[in-house]
Amino acid sequence: MNKTININLGGYAMVIDEDAYDVANRYLMTLTRHFVANEGAEEIMQDIETRMGELINRKRGTRTIVNKLDVVEAIAVLGTPEELKDIDFSDDIPQKKRSTQPSFQLKTGKRLYRDKDDKIIGGVCSGLSAYFGIQDAVWIRIVFVILTLVFGSSLIVYLVLWMIVPPAKTVSDRLEMMGEPTNVNNIAKMIKEEIEQVSDKIQDKFGKKSKHHKKHPAEDNSEQIHTSGWAWNPKSGARGETKPPYNKKDFV
Amino acid sequence: MKAQMRKGVLDMCILSLLSSEEMYTSDIIDKLKNSQLVVVEGTLYPLLTRLKNAGLLEYYWQESNYGPPRKYFRITADGQSFLKDLKESWEEINQAVSLTTQNTQVHE
Repeated sequence: MNKTININLGGYAMVIDEDAYDVANRYLMTLTRHFVANEGAEEIMQDIETRMGELINRKRGTRTIVNKLDVVEAIAVLGTPEELKDIDFSDDIPQKKRSTQPSFQLKTGKRLYRDKDDKIIGGVCSGLSAYFGIQDAVWIRIVFVILTLVFGSSLIVYLVLWMIVPPAKTVSDRLEMMGEPTNVNNIAKMIKEEIEQVSDKIQDKFGKKSKHHKKHPAEDNSEQIHTSGWAWNPKSGARGETKPPYNKKDFV
Repeated sequence: MKAQMRKGVLDMCILSLLSSEEMYTSDIIDKLKNSQLVVVEGTLYPLLTRLKNAGLLEYYWQESNYGPPRKYFRITADGQSFLKDLKESWEEINQAVSLTTQNTQVHE
């Protein structure tokens, strides 16, 4: 289940699901930062929004709700901030030395969330283990159990954390929880990962009774993904060893 | 260097596309994509805005049946003469380059 949001994207009215909205919003924010030095930045962004609306609208066809894949494909056509850096049109302005740090990284710090996809009770321990970079949440759980047996008061600590720590709901929450920079590439990477996971699952369980039978609309189009020029590579990235921060549960 | 070259050539291509007809932004993009000059669309918008601000292009809004009003671009008189200059220098450069590269091939 997913919440939907009514938006106006460059003059196109559309109903978009929350995750897709999140991706689109991040993308437009990073682009705004990217073009901020350009003359007429506002106009450029307006044009891009209109085009994005047009692309998504065309892709959506007769479906009612815009999904993440629609957004990701539109982004692939428009180009990530990384790809746009290749051609720098702002050279009428004296060239400033750009820092080596890519300008489109919003945050790199981790935030504490509860990991609802890897929970025993409230996901507090798994959230803590993601925060401290511990591979397996079981160690935190053991410590908590021992502390509870010895002192008892850590049970209260757990309950308080359960109440005050927010759950990681959206894609960007999960990226923040894992300490990955929330940029367009990472969000896209995560979405691709989950699409692959789901298609693997469906292949594995095909024919058997499974609650994952209901395909996500994105699944039907997964072969059409525009990957030209898209900086995503399944083999690269530190993600390989750690568990994927996204989970098929989000799909059903 | 390569990006710089492409950028110069893109200016010329956009102006010459618009010198024959008025075009909707997405049509310009489609044409340029077909010729593989533009890989991702995002690079084009800053360019169009720059050409417009330089007075070489102008645009007007036209109602559309499928969505919001569309931006149609057309070339200005300044744009036409600038395009003429560009095409001349393009010819000169083209000749100079082919002459030079031919000579180097002979000497090798």
